[in-house]
Amino acid sequence: MRRFALLLSTAAVALLALTAATSPAHAQTEIALTIEKNRFSPEEIKVKAGAPFVLVIANKDKTPEEFDMQQPRIEKVIPAGKTVRLRMPALKPGKYPFVGEYHSETAKATIIAE
Amino acid sequence: MGATFVVTLREAFEASLILGIVYTYLDKIHARDQYRYVTVGGLLGLLASVGLGIAVGFLSGPLLDLGPDLIAAAVIFFAVGLLTWHAWWMQQHARAIKGQVQHRIDEARRMQRLWIVALIAFVGVFREGAETVLFLWGLMSQATSSSGWANVAGGVAGVGSAAALGWAIFRGGVRLSLPRFFAVTTVLIMLLAAGLFSGGVGRLQGLGLLPVTDPLWDTSWLLSDRSVVGSFLGGLVGYRAQPSAFEAGAYAMYLVAAGFLLFGHLFAAPITNGEPAAPREPVARD
Repeated sequence: MRRFALLLSTAAVALLALTAATSPAHAQTEIALTIEKNRFSPEEIKVKAGAPFVLVIANKDKTPEEFDMQQPRIEKVIPAGKTVRLRMPALKPGKYPFVGEYHSETAKATIIAE
Repeated sequence: MGATFVVTLREAFEASLILGIVYTYLDKIHARDQYRYVTVGGLLGLLASVGLGIAVGFLSGPLLDLGPDLIAAAVIFFAVGLLTWHAWWMQQHARAIKGQVQHRIDEARRMQRLWIVALIAFVGVFREGAETVLFLWGLMSQATSSSGWANVAGGVAGVGSAAALGWAIFRGGVRLSLPRFFAVTTVLIMLLAAGLFSGGVGRLQGLGLLPVTDPLWDTSWLLSDRSVVGSFLGGLVGYRAQPSAFEAGAYAMYLVAAGFLLFGHLFAAPITNGEPAAPREPVARD
């Protein structure tokens, strides 16, 4: 049992170390995305394929929203009135739709990597 | 209202399945008096969820950008580990029971087993708990109109339905014979954990810790992840309409590894009383 706990904590530490190692200090392209009245704006975002980037998501609503992309799987809660920097992985050319899970009828947008 | 119902149903379903598993497990080993371990674990999970939900509102900068994701990823893999461990224990237990040494085993193992049951309940609730809390909170802060209140009602009904579903599934389990219950639950836990594991790997891809790969297939035309059935199967067996190669690979790898760990004995030499059978002799039936 103790060995099991040790294994788990080692895995957790490794995960943290890995994250620290993959957070490069140099600036990546930042793209602003706003949530207002349960909609994203802009609803079409063009990015360069093959390069990681940062989505700076500002939630101007009084309710939280969850950025929810199916593929690649990315979920991120943006609390009401907060701004979150969401690091996005390098994407292959293509369309990547996402929704605001908490208001998925209205909050829909697409990232186009080209 | 329908939309908020589906969101909370999906978020709470896995938690209720996991709680259902551990409650029924305790029922099965005649340790109902130990339910409180699960209840306390679940309540602590709920408290932690509310805590994180509140904390997220105060966090900013890198703490808000990465903190919750790292916690979420860690909790997923922790849950996979715990569930696998639990399934393995149940297998051992089931075999021991066949050997009719149930009482001895129970007494010896009860004390060291229960903290893990409590932990499983905690992790099960905490995993999607903070998101559900934030979501419901958001709904309530908007509930000034009648449609707002309908949304709140939908959200609460979603949590309630998830709880009822989890309860129903494992209530059915109580009627099964003990060995069959253990077998069925072990397989269910394996599928549940495989789904969690593959979901965790998908999150690592999303965090940029693993390369992004194309979806292996796309069955969203047939069954979307966001539909009620799709989310139900997603929570139960890890269904994904568009799994990445890493997600599908992780799912398959987990099933093979856990299958070997949990059912490997079935393919080894015949086993009686938990020990390899000696050269065969006629066995007296009782």
